[in-house]
Amino acid sequence: MPEIHVDSLVKQFAESRALDDVSFHVAEGELFTLLGPSGCGKSTTLMSVAGFQTPEEGSVTVDGDVFFDARRRINVAAERRNLGIVFQSYAVWPHMTVYGNLAFPLKVRKTKRNAIRPRVLEVLELVEMAHLVDRYPHQLSGGQQQRVALARALVYSPSVLLLDEPFSNLDAKLRERARTWVKELQSRLGLTTVFVTHDQDEALSMSDRVAVMSLGEVQQIGTPEEIYRRPANRFVAEFVGNVNLLTGVVATWERGRLALELEDGRKLWIDSDHTPTPNARITIAVRPESLRIEPAGTSTLNGSNTLDARVTAMAFLGDHYQYELAAGSLALTVQTSGPVFAEQVKVHIPADACAIVAE
Amino acid sequence: MTSAAYEHTAPARRSRSLPTAGTLQWLVWLLVFGLVLGPFVPLLFASVRDRPLYQAGGVFTLAAYGDLLHDPAFWRAALHTLEYASLTTALSVVAGGAVAILVARTDMPGGQAFGRLTLLPLLLPSLGIVLGWIVVWGPGGYLSSQIQSHLHIGTLDINSIPGMAVIEATRLLPVAYMTCEAALARADSSLEDAARSAGAPPLTVLRRITIPMLRPALLNSGTLIFTLSIASLGIPLLLGTPHNIQFVSTYLYLQWTNAATPDSPIVSAGAMLLLLVATLLLLLRNRLLGAEARYVSVAGKAGRTAMLSLRVWRWPLACAIGLYLALSTLVPVLGLAVMSFVAFLTPLIAPWHLFTWSNWQILGTGVYLRSIEHSALLALVGGIVTTAVVAVGTLVAHRSKLPVRRTLPFVMLYPRAIPGLIIGIGFFWAFLETGGPGSFLRQSIWGILLAFCIRNLPFAYVVMYPTLTRIGEELDRAGRSVGASWWRTCRTIVLPLLRPALFASFILMFVEILNDYDPALFLVRPGTEVIGTTMLDTFLQGIVGPVASLAMVQVGITVIVLALGTFVFKVRVSGGHDA
Repeated sequence: MPEIHVDSLVKQFAESRALDDVSFHVAEGELFTLLGPSGCGKSTTLMSVAGFQTPEEGSVTVDGDVFFDARRRINVAAERRNLGIVFQSYAVWPHMTVYGNLAFPLKVRKTKRNAIRPRVLEVLELVEMAHLVDRYPHQLSGGQQQRVALARALVYSPSVLLLDEPFSNLDAKLRERARTWVKELQSRLGLTTVFVTHDQDEALSMSDRVAVMSLGEVQQIGTPEEIYRRPANRFVAEFVGNVNLLTGVVATWERGRLALELEDGRKLWIDSDHTPTPNARITIAVRPESLRIEPAGTSTLNGSNTLDARVTAMAFLGDHYQYELAAGSLALTVQTSGPVFAEQVKVHIPADACAIVAE
Repeated sequence: MTSAAYEHTAPARRSRSLPTAGTLQWLVWLLVFGLVLGPFVPLLFASVRDRPLYQAGGVFTLAAYGDLLHDPAFWRAALHTLEYASLTTALSVVAGGAVAILVARTDMPGGQAFGRLTLLPLLLPSLGIVLGWIVVWGPGGYLSSQIQSHLHIGTLDINSIPGMAVIEATRLLPVAYMTCEAALARADSSLEDAARSAGAPPLTVLRRITIPMLRPALLNSGTLIFTLSIASLGIPLLLGTPHNIQFVSTYLYLQWTNAATPDSPIVSAGAMLLLLVATLLLLLRNRLLGAEARYVSVAGKAGRTAMLSLRVWRWPLACAIGLYLALSTLVPVLGLAVMSFVAFLTPLIAPWHLFTWSNWQILGTGVYLRSIEHSALLALVGGIVTTAVVAVGTLVAHRSKLPVRRTLPFVMLYPRAIPGLIIGIGFFWAFLETGGPGSFLRQSIWGILLAFCIRNLPFAYVVMYPTLTRIGEELDRAGRSVGASWWRTCRTIVLPLLRPALFASFILMFVEILNDYDPALFLVRPGTEVIGTTMLDTFLQGIVGPVASLAMVQVGITVIVLALGTFVFKVRVSGGHDA
């Protein structure tokens, strides 16, 4: 069954470590995303699976076949790995028609002549491109080229699909449509897929699981919800969405929750299953949309975790409003769906919206 | 369409009996490496023996180097060479840079056309053009004596070192022009725009921004021009020797042909020294610039407004460049053309009174016909073979994982810096030392072809490399990912996309091989003549008419092939395959 095991990949470029002990496992039919800023090693990881990069250590196994194992000196050539890849530039061969592009992998596989055309048309049907079979790539739009690239990667029924930032060359509107469409196709065909992107929206909306990478290391692997709501560390919290990071000392602890003493002495209760060391310094992450604010005069917010604050800046962002607040020495960002007409506000930090993050 | 149609299949398995991509890549690497660097081994060996290699016995000695360095004639020749090369470099770099700036950054009329015409001397047969200079501008030449008798002013003495340097500079100016033009086209023009918006007048921008930005290009082309001019053989031999001005190249050539013992080790020692200097200059050049940034595609930004307005100087400057092109290229070619139709050329009798077909009729006979046939055959075969080998070599160098691939670009560019006479002497010894195959090559035109191909191989690489870099690497990765082997990916994806460059490379190689001569001077024997060697030989015997018609044949074929190439090439480019 097509599963992918990537184990302890290490790759050194001239001075920096491109990959540092990268491991993950992709289950059959899963869409697994490598997410991170440019230079984090996500493409290097993907190209190591594809066979275009050779790591110094580690192993790659797909569908039970060992493709790469540094210790056993196994390195299967890229063309023998039978993977489907969609490249960032699509890499649709400009001197061949759409048909030529799709027929080439089948010719390489010595498919019978009379079986090629039906198969090509069948797969083009799948990506809704059958009517453009005789066009040259320069006669196609970016979105159409992308579909051809995907069809070409599927036409020989590869064991897994690798997508290298396939949407980055599309404009914003088209990108959103392509996203839904690719996800739908992937789950319909049950394709085991590894997807590389630097766009957190793409990663969160499409993936079954996400690996966040930085500086050649995997920072966290989890479902989109886990990554967003329970970021493992400061990097993940900051890279995926906006976040408020608050640092303090553990003051008291009881079952399921603890009190954090902030720098200015105020206490904040947060829900936590961890058993922290008393007096330990910890950082918590809380998303701007989890905070609630109301005008100070008419506020019903009260009790613990409610602070007085002053609005220092406000921005209208279409589908929501964003407020910058100063609560004493504390700076907070808050998102609301509607406007708040006041300069003095009360802000509430829900205890269940706070996640402890490692530094 | 349902997902049932999508089935997981087993990966393609091909028979493993075929040679792997690695084997092919190694073979190409070995071929290129061996042919470029191979001839230097026997050359080095010949230079440290006390007698020519074909004589029995012989011991290792450095005596040849000692003799050479103690010969005052050699030192005189070295000084002459230095003066000649420095003057040539200075003239062509300054003029080439100026033309490049005029074409790329001013509103001079006819800029683009001048730019293209400036490149012509690089492609026209250099030996023929030199003969044209002699016919027109030489002592007693057609125009120089007219000017002297009617205007009573002297013209440049082309038999002096400065005179020769001027001719050489007109030949090498395109090298400087091309490098500077490419640098200007690639330079971010917003750097200059920024200076102007900061309040600098155009001339200040030129002086403080544009010219400093050109410095790497000037240094780079200057080093190359210096290297090419110290190795130049044609101009020194035709213009210097009759007036007893010797250069290192002519010193070695005359030693080779006239010495009591032919092929003396002194010549090999001198060739080794020259090779050393040329190699050091090449390394210096590589150091001056990033090794690969040197050959950037010349892609002009159409529609860009000229930075510098020449105002009243527009037409005078355009006329000056036009006049230069006319005097340096058009007039010598016309002189040759007239010369080929007259019994002798003299200002005293109008040419039509001396009209004759004999210079052309003689081309249909003996050594002349043989030379033309040989040259045409060599150009055709050499153009195809070199393009094929360099194409695969370039792919190995830039699109393979061969561990030693990074050595290939240097090796493929190296012959550009090696004097032609060294390649000639090197192959002479190499053929002599390799038994049966060597003696076959030595006695046929194919030995000369090999030397010509190696000599001109860098041109093919320089044409192909920029095009290859524009073909995204993801295109061949896509080929590999769908299961095609390295070679199959090259064949069906990269090489078809490289087609315009392959075609351009063939045209360039054809022209260069057709017009090349100096390596052949050391390899030619009765029965294996090519146009260049026959021209030189005939001219040195004092016969000028047939030389002029031979040169016209070269010019004619060159122009036709270039025109054909440009025409067909343009058709290809606009064919829509480059999307």
